[in-house]
Amino acid sequence: MSYAVELVNISKSFGSVRAVSNVSLSIRKNEFFSLLGPSGCGKTTTLRIIAGLEEPDTGVVKLDGRDVTYVPTHKRNIGMVFQTLALFPHMDVYDNIAFGLRMRNYSEADIRRRVREMLDIVRLSGLEHRRIHQLSGGQRQRVALARALIVQPAVLLLDEPLGALDLKIRQHMMVELKRVQREVGTTFIYVTHDQTEAMVMSDRIAVMKDGVIQQVGEPYDIYMHPRNRFVATFIGDAINLVEGDYASPGVVKTSLGDINVPSINEYVGKKVVFAIRPEKILIGGEVSSDLDNVFVGRISLTIFRGAFIEYRVYVDNMEFVIFKPHVGVSYLLLKPGDMVKIGWRREDGILMPE
Amino acid sequence: MKWFDRFLKIYTYIILALMYLPIVVLIIFSFNESRSKVVFTGFTLENYYRLVNNFMVWDAFYNSIWIGVVVTIVSVLLAILMSYGVTRYSFRGKAIVDSIMLVPIIIPEIVEALTLLVFLVILGFSLSPYTIIIGHVAFDISFAYVVIKARMAGYDPQFEEAARTLGADEFKAFRKVTLPILAPGIAAAALIAFLESYDDFIKTFFTRPPGFLTLPVYIWNMASRRGFPLDLNALASFVVIISLVFAYVRRRVERGVLR
Ligand SMILES: Nc1ncnc2c1ncn2[C@@H]1O[C@H](COP(=O)(O)OP(=O)(O)OP(=O)(O)O)[C@@H](O)[C@H]1O
Ligand SMILES: [Mg+2]
Repeated sequence: MSYAVELVNISKSFGSVRAVSNVSLSIRKNEFFSLLGPSGCGKTTTLRIIAGLEEPDTGVVKLDGRDVTYVPTHKRNIGMVFQTLALFPHMDVYDNIAFGLRMRNYSEADIRRRVREMLDIVRLSGLEHRRIHQLSGGQRQRVALARALIVQPAVLLLDEPLGALDLKIRQHMMVELKRVQREVGTTFIYVTHDQTEAMVMSDRIAVMKDGVIQQVGEPYDIYMHPRNRFVATFIGDAINLVEGDYASPGVVKTSLGDINVPSINEYVGKKVVFAIRPEKILIGGEVSSDLDNVFVGRISLTIFRGAFIEYRVYVDNMEFVIFKPHVGVSYLLLKPGDMVKIGWRREDGILMPE
Repeated sequence: MKWFDRFLKIYTYIILALMYLPIVVLIIFSFNESRSKVVFTGFTLENYYRLVNNFMVWDAFYNSIWIGVVVTIVSVLLAILMSYGVTRYSFRGKAIVDSIMLVPIIIPEIVEALTLLVFLVILGFSLSPYTIIIGHVAFDISFAYVVIKARMAGYDPQFEEAARTLGADEFKAFRKVTLPILAPGIAAAALIAFLESYDDFIKTFFTRPPGFLTLPVYIWNMASRRGFPLDLNALASFVVIISLVFAYVRRRVERGVLR
């Protein structure tokens, strides 16, 4: 089976800015795939190259196994939801959604039926004769989605479509997008700088920085096994990093003392970065004496975060971030200034090359 | 501050009256039976009959319209190209081009007309309807440019790209999306250009060949003749009403732009 989209060694520069650098990706059919990275890392450019709105300097773009590097946009059978949505202001909801079918010369009767179906899927029935400026942000978002989906594209490209919405609607739309994707069974390539969005919706994520792909994998995989410091810090709410030497198998020497880690032979004798996620650290009464790693520190801050409590604990001059749900150690028992034990199991630690 | 609100209101009415009362009086007296300009003695359409039967009026009217149409088409086309260049591309001296385009709006028309005449004489042009058109275009293009550029600057090329992702080739994308979105701005520019040409007296007067009449020139001829003939009121009313119709259409179009 061929991939829905394949990028082979794609590069693109604007003047002296290397927007996309040697990117290769294979995106499976019916996959919800996210391109995640900070502002200016080349996400939009990559998407525009897939759409044919930008020509790569080098490399090959394949759709469903076919080389389309020099095929014009309107012959690629892709759909795109733009960062600005770009809904046609001179048309109402119905005409916006019908546009792609009209370009393909469908009969008006056929168009009417398909638009109605699509309105159902994106839950906009009854609004077909509204003008674009009479819609809320979330509704516009759905119109843009419907307009792109109605031509049944092989791939739907979405460029930060939720960026303009406020948190509650964004959370709602994330679930909606996922639902629509399941319902229509199309490959989605979703661009975002918001790691939560990527984690919630994606089957797989590609993390990008300065035009270079850093890591590709399932959300769980990327979260649990980040390949480098950038991915580790970009994914997830927070992470604790300590630099050290991988002196002997299973032991990293750091300024805090020895840390027991999983033994990975290829790191022996090298400088490494040790990382541990905030929710993996045990604190206070949770720390038993036979835990692999135990340190003593002083609480500098406690923050009530709703679903969990965030502790900041200093061990020497390294500040650890620790997340705790409300069960177990109570918020009231540990206060800033208290000395506490913290610790974690060997297998919860993450090792990355320096 | 209630008194101030009231003052503003009255002030506004006075200004409006000063602007429109003379026009209203002019129109009313175009139906006056006697030659008097102060006493309305009775209603008649006599003045309009005479107007309709005056072939000079028809000639002038015809000239005003066709010159206006040619000027409009040329100014709008040039303005579209210029706005496109200025909004889509960056080049050296862009800011200067942009400001130069505004000059004709600012400088006094009489100065412009004189310069134009001198320029035409130096180049050895003999005066003809085409010299009138050149003069009008040189002026109206600025108005058309200002309106169309504003519209184009607000136009997001992503609309066109969106159309292309939906299966439209570049030509279809331009025709179905770009053009309709820009259309109200282009129409507004065309109406302004036409009105500016149709209303113009000074430049037409300086650049016309002898004996060539447009409506404003014909009115001037009649008014400067002794005795101030009666059908002048009727003619002026006619001109004003056409202008008002255009002004109204323009407002409607502009409201379309904002929508
Ligand atoms: N048309 C262009 N001309 C010049 N530089 C460009 C152009 N488009 C993008 N760039 C540059 O290429 C780099 C990548 O841009 P791109 O728009 O792909 O980033 P992005 O990841 O989508 O960022 P954001 O999250 O802010 O949208 C940036 O440094 C940007 O300034
Ligand atoms: Mg972008």
